[in-house]
Amino acid sequence: MKDKMTIILFSGELDKAIAAFTLATTAALSGMEVTIFFTFWGLNVLKKTTYTVTGSQNILQKMFNLMSPATLPISKLNMFGLGPWMMRRLMRKSKMASLEDMMKLARELKIKYIACTTSCGVLGLGPEHLVGEVDEFAGAATYLAEARESNINLFI
Amino acid sequence: MHLDKTLDCIGLFCPMPIAKTKQELDKMNPGQTLEILADDPGFEKDLPAWCRMTGEKLVALEKEGNIFKGYVTKK
Repeated sequence: MKDKMTIILFSGELDKAIAAFTLATTAALSGMEVTIFFTFWGLNVLKKTTYTVTGSQNILQKMFNLMSPATLPISKLNMFGLGPWMMRRLMRKSKMASLEDMMKLARELKIKYIACTTSCGVLGLGPEHLVGEVDEFAGAATYLAEARESNINLFI
Repeated sequence: MHLDKTLDCIGLFCPMPIAKTKQELDKMNPGQTLEILADDPGFEKDLPAWCRMTGEKLVALEKEGNIFKGYVTKK
């Protein structure tokens, strides 16, 4: 049987997403089957457009999505967007792979994306708002069934 | 040692040297040897660890200045 790893990506911050995707891609490159379960703030990583505000959402969902855009902050020293800008610049300068590079690699390695349906429902997000790479829309039981078969399970 | 290919990962950081090593080995035939050049300090530990996980054969790992030279024979 193949080794498996799962990650719950709960956070919607650039630095944490980079950590998650570094581990996910390295595990897949080492022959593991990798699943990432995107929930709550983690769904921001998958949003297609910066502001995901649509007519199908109620006023609170609209406000929530407006205040939680797809441009990811960093978990410390965010400084109203200056932090992520500096971080991306530093990463480019030191030739570190960007989050976008790693997400592209993740798709090439067939890392499975599951989007949490409960979070999607609360936030008024549908498949049309998220990138096309989402393999499944599912809940806790689907995640746990995968996690149970996996040797490594992380919550980020 | 007979080398079939050299892969330059100088200037790249984790996880890219491992990613490129895997992608390059995928294009090669069993028994062929790949030389990997890297200067990410983590590479010295990461390449042997990756070989242990995947079963690829690490033939040698040398250090010249701050450059690591890894030699992997495809299984």
